[in-house]
Amino acid sequence: MRPSIALAALIASVPASAQDETPPIAAWSRTAAVSETAGTLSERGAAVFNNWCDACHRNAEQNAPGTRSLELKYRGELPAPLEDRTDLTPALIELYVRNGVATMPFYRKTEISDEDLAALSAYLADD
Amino acid sequence: MPNPPPGLSQRQFDNALARLEEIIGRDWVFRTDEDVALYRDAYSPLWGEAEERYASAAVAPVTVEEVQDIVRVANEFRLPLYPISTGRNLTYGGSAPVHSGSVVLDLKRMNRILDVDERDKTCLVEPGVSYFDMYRYLRQNNIRLWIDTADPGWGGLIGNALDRGGGYTGIDYRDHFDAHCGMEIVLPTGELVRTGMGANEKATTWQLFKYGMGPWIDGIFSQSNFGVVTKMGFWLMEEPEAAKQVSITVPRREDVHAFVDILHSLMSDHTIPSQTSVASPVMNGSADPELVRLRTSGGASDAVWNRYADSVDRPFWSSTFVLYGAQKVIDAQWEHVRDRLGAIPGVVFRETASYAFPLSDEEAEAVPDKARYGIPSLNLFGSRNAPGQQPSEGHLDFSPMIRPRGEELIGLYDLTGRIYGELGLTPSAAIGMMFHARAMICFHAVPTFRNAEDNRRSRALFERLVTECAENGWNIYRIHAHFQELGMSIYDFNDHALHRLHETLKDAIDPRGVISAGRYDIWPRHLREGSA
Repeated sequence: MRPSIALAALIASVPASAQDETPPIAAWSRTAAVSETAGTLSERGAAVFNNWCDACHRNAEQNAPGTRSLELKYRGELPAPLEDRTDLTPALIELYVRNGVATMPFYRKTEISDEDLAALSAYLADD
Repeated sequence: MPNPPPGLSQRQFDNALARLEEIIGRDWVFRTDEDVALYRDAYSPLWGEAEERYASAAVAPVTVEEVQDIVRVANEFRLPLYPISTGRNLTYGGSAPVHSGSVVLDLKRMNRILDVDERDKTCLVEPGVSYFDMYRYLRQNNIRLWIDTADPGWGGLIGNALDRGGGYTGIDYRDHFDAHCGMEIVLPTGELVRTGMGANEKATTWQLFKYGMGPWIDGIFSQSNFGVVTKMGFWLMEEPEAAKQVSITVPRREDVHAFVDILHSLMSDHTIPSQTSVASPVMNGSADPELVRLRTSGGASDAVWNRYADSVDRPFWSSTFVLYGAQKVIDAQWEHVRDRLGAIPGVVFRETASYAFPLSDEEAEAVPDKARYGIPSLNLFGSRNAPGQQPSEGHLDFSPMIRPRGEELIGLYDLTGRIYGELGLTPSAAIGMMFHARAMICFHAVPTFRNAEDNRRSRALFERLVTECAENGWNIYRIHAHFQELGMSIYDFNDHALHRLHETLKDAIDPRGVISAGRYDIWPRHLREGSA
């Protein structure tokens, strides 16, 4: 469901800043990285999901407060894990990422860029 | 387009932003309504009201040199800037500026982990590095060091430390500002300084020895607006061989005095290394009408409370903490803990979890109480606890400092319960937490909403809690941006001499008043005089 290769590609592709001699040794959340990575849009979206969404929305019984909250909301009418949903559209994903809902805050473009959002939508909407 | 900052014409604002675009490129200057709205405080207690704080624009540099250039332009135009690190200081104001109309200086793109030294057990990071980032880096590289994470893993090491947040592991690490060692700061003039040993470029001990030589100045850059911190070093905890998490209960309300005294003693002699919480399973119970009546009465006797505790069949107090170290040391610590607390009749000891490190990815993922083991999560961010429940939307942290004494913990429960009752509200749960070596934080959550009516009620509650707890000597240590004037006002010795000193420093260090105007109620001269 979540190809780990995409995340590795995301990390490996982060360029050092041209204006600073110290090379980055990690840049997991570097913005706009998606546009710099290899792989399909959906694979890049998996990396975005892993980085930003997984801590709340993973498919797990515990340590997944977003999944738990949706389970209580939908009571079986829809799958609680976002990766199991088949009804998510890019517009709906953008609505939640840019407006938030309940305790989930909205995400700035320095966190999830428009390119990252398109990739995330491709990943979640294509499943 | 958002309005220009106060004091700037549209033309001046446009010219300033054009200069900033030359520095960092158009893609990283955000000025449309849609983009700037992403800098609102998602948990604002003023959501949608006239007083809600808004940014006028946001800029996102990626290098220190860009930060310096931006600050110089801000001086030229008197453009108010509001630096944020990861921007996730939710419950304390998030990414929204204190002074409405400021341009947010979003440092999230500065997200490099510049150094991790496994032998020295230190790191050096930029402001955009989150706890998740650092944790993943350590695991990916098989580095046997722990971070001490705040409850929300999306928080940043630097931002949380500068707001003096806390975590759960060893005493050298969980007071996040205290765990830092060395800073780099862009001053409000654009000049770059490094503190401690970092003031000598050849020093090998920037992240090892805090003071360097001369006045130790790092403290003035926390909860303040005297510069833009672009690097900070931190001490990291060596992964222990093992850990044991325990839960201890005592049955009677009056047991709190011996319970807290002994726990404090065990922390002082380093038998207990971790953050230690003390809460009441009885008083933090459900919305049972009898419980609400007792709590809001603000002073029921021990005998009355003990009868209630018997009726719900719960021990009155509980404590949770973790023992870290070599297994044989943990065994000795646990034996000593049981010896000391065994003096309280009816005490019950439970071992709730034991771990041997390192954990596999699957084992780490399965840990329920992650922050106590340096594992970041967002586990506190669930919106619902029951089917059909109205989801929660946000909250304010109300966390007064008390002495670690049973009488103060009970006094706080009684006072806050009475205040809730007088406002017709159900009292919040409260937890005493020993984040710090000597003082206890008593954490409460005051809910916030996306509607004005409920938020007005929450603000009235919050203001009464702050004010009346302060009258009893229980001051808050950190506060949401909207309430920072109120928060600082209670630090009033000698007619607010401390606040005057803060503003004296502000005038000297930031004469044009461009950095984070109003943060912790420190205003630059031109806005002080204008608002007088």
